[in-house]
Amino acid sequence: MRRETQNILLVLLGGALLKISFSGLYLRYVQKGLLPLLIAAGAIMIGLALFAIIRDIRAGKAAAAEDDHGHSHSSRSTWLMLLPVLAVFLISPPALGGDVVSSAADTNQTQRSRNLLGELPSGDVIPLSMTEFVTRTAWDESGTLDGRKVKLTGFLTRAEGNTFVARLAISCCAADARPLKVKLTGDVPSLPDEQWVEVTGQVVPKSANEQNSWVPSFTVEASTSVPEPVEPYES
Amino acid sequence: MTITGEIRSSKRRSGPPRLKITSLEVLCAILVLALLFQSRLVDLLDVPKLRTASTVFVAICVQAMPFLVLGVLISGAIAAFVPASALRRLLPSKTALAVPVAGVAGVALPGCECASVPVARRLMQQGVAPAVALTFLLAAPAVNPIVLVSTAVAFNDTPMMVVARFVGSLLTAMVMGWLWVRFGKMEWIAERALARLGDHSGQNKWAVFAESARHDLVDAGGFLVLGGLFAAAFKTFVPVAWMQTLGGQIVLGVIVMALLAVILALCSEADAFVAVAFSALPLLPRLVFLVVGPAVDVKLIALQAGAFGKSFAFRFAPATFVVAILCAVLTGVVLL
Repeated sequence: MRRETQNILLVLLGGALLKISFSGLYLRYVQKGLLPLLIAAGAIMIGLALFAIIRDIRAGKAAAAEDDHGHSHSSRSTWLMLLPVLAVFLISPPALGGDVVSSAADTNQTQRSRNLLGELPSGDVIPLSMTEFVTRTAWDESGTLDGRKVKLTGFLTRAEGNTFVARLAISCCAADARPLKVKLTGDVPSLPDEQWVEVTGQVVPKSANEQNSWVPSFTVEASTSVPEPVEPYES
Repeated sequence: MTITGEIRSSKRRSGPPRLKITSLEVLCAILVLALLFQSRLVDLLDVPKLRTASTVFVAICVQAMPFLVLGVLISGAIAAFVPASALRRLLPSKTALAVPVAGVAGVALPGCECASVPVARRLMQQGVAPAVALTFLLAAPAVNPIVLVSTAVAFNDTPMMVVARFVGSLLTAMVMGWLWVRFGKMEWIAERALARLGDHSGQNKWAVFAESARHDLVDAGGFLVLGGLFAAAFKTFVPVAWMQTLGGQIVLGVIVMALLAVILALCSEADAFVAVAFSALPLLPRLVFLVVGPAVDVKLIALQAGAFGKSFAFRFAPATFVVAILCAVLTGVVLL
């Protein structure tokens, strides 16, 4: 591959990183904390390519061609760098959803081992993250959630006649997504799969146990459909 | 820019300009075609499994790129600012003794495995013994503080897991280094990987830095993407739900978790959270998962094949796989 083409590929790839960083789409792929690293990486890629382009222009074509011979082994694999560029600019893959929840092995298991919880906030309806809700139902045996009205945000997914509200949690990127699932009972919303909803209701006490992989049941009192949140994953 | 380029090149050529297809024209053609068929492409991928795979693919690439950039910057800095003699003075002259030093030095590179490949190759080019550079390559992604802290957070009820991971990974890296001293052959490593850089004494050091970094990035970037493709495909199409049924079968559990570490190619900073989730399995198979992952996985094999050549990667990766399992089991039996 020619040096010019390599430089253009680097600019495109760096541009793709900057695009998802500034548009907020990066939250579909990686966790929030990676943002400064993404911007830096994109900028450095473009910077390295521009530096080479400017040097080549200054030195003239002949020198550049000579240099190319020096590194003539540059393999065809470099072409693959075009794939993420095309994926980001043309396809822009969506955030992970129900497909991952249904094929995962480890529903709610992770939360069993996390016991870093404080007091529940007071208030009539408590908005809770799915992580906190599931952790409390799976680990906290004192039943702090019993009788409390809670609001959860997630997407709908169905399996074996049951409806669940689910959300994915990631710790680095979408490849390590872990599903969090809550089974809905009561006034179950009849919206399509993958629709994002806010459900208000109460936990069914002691409904999470080892047999159901710590999936608690939740009695829905009210539900509204909401747009997909900017941050689709919990961390 | 291109205009001046064209004028210059047409001046050099004698006779009428010929139509020559270079990578530049191919790139333009691909971009135009992709734009034209964009909606068709999007429709084609609108199957749940493929959508998941494409998201995971982009996620792995996006997550790994900053670390690869960090790696090539360090590699460039070594090429430009650290003379080979300084490295030689820093390391013990006896290779077998330099191996543990390199393993412990891995603590200082806070990144995941993508960062350490370009750095290890640069160390070799600067005259560091391959065994030493390879030990560093294996140790750095597994024993650095960020990885250990995230392991501690994930396994907050079993702090011994952090110690076991540290010891198991360091042991793996050092055993591989010593094995290379004993059995390794230079001809397995592609010639281009070891080619010393030209004499840069006359050149601006910053130019050497930028050129080396750019060159390494272009070299490794494609292989990283290849690894990401494999990992996304495996992650999406290999069902893992049956893994929970392995339960107490410890030998099978160890083998399956080791293979899973290879095909999932998780970032070493996140794999502990995934390992925690396999709660039906005992700790030992999960430790194997954590030790094997940063040492061998599809993304890393692709990067190593790119950096050191295929005949190296196809020997080194299986050997590392076996050594990592043995070291992890040994450490696990003693510590857990």
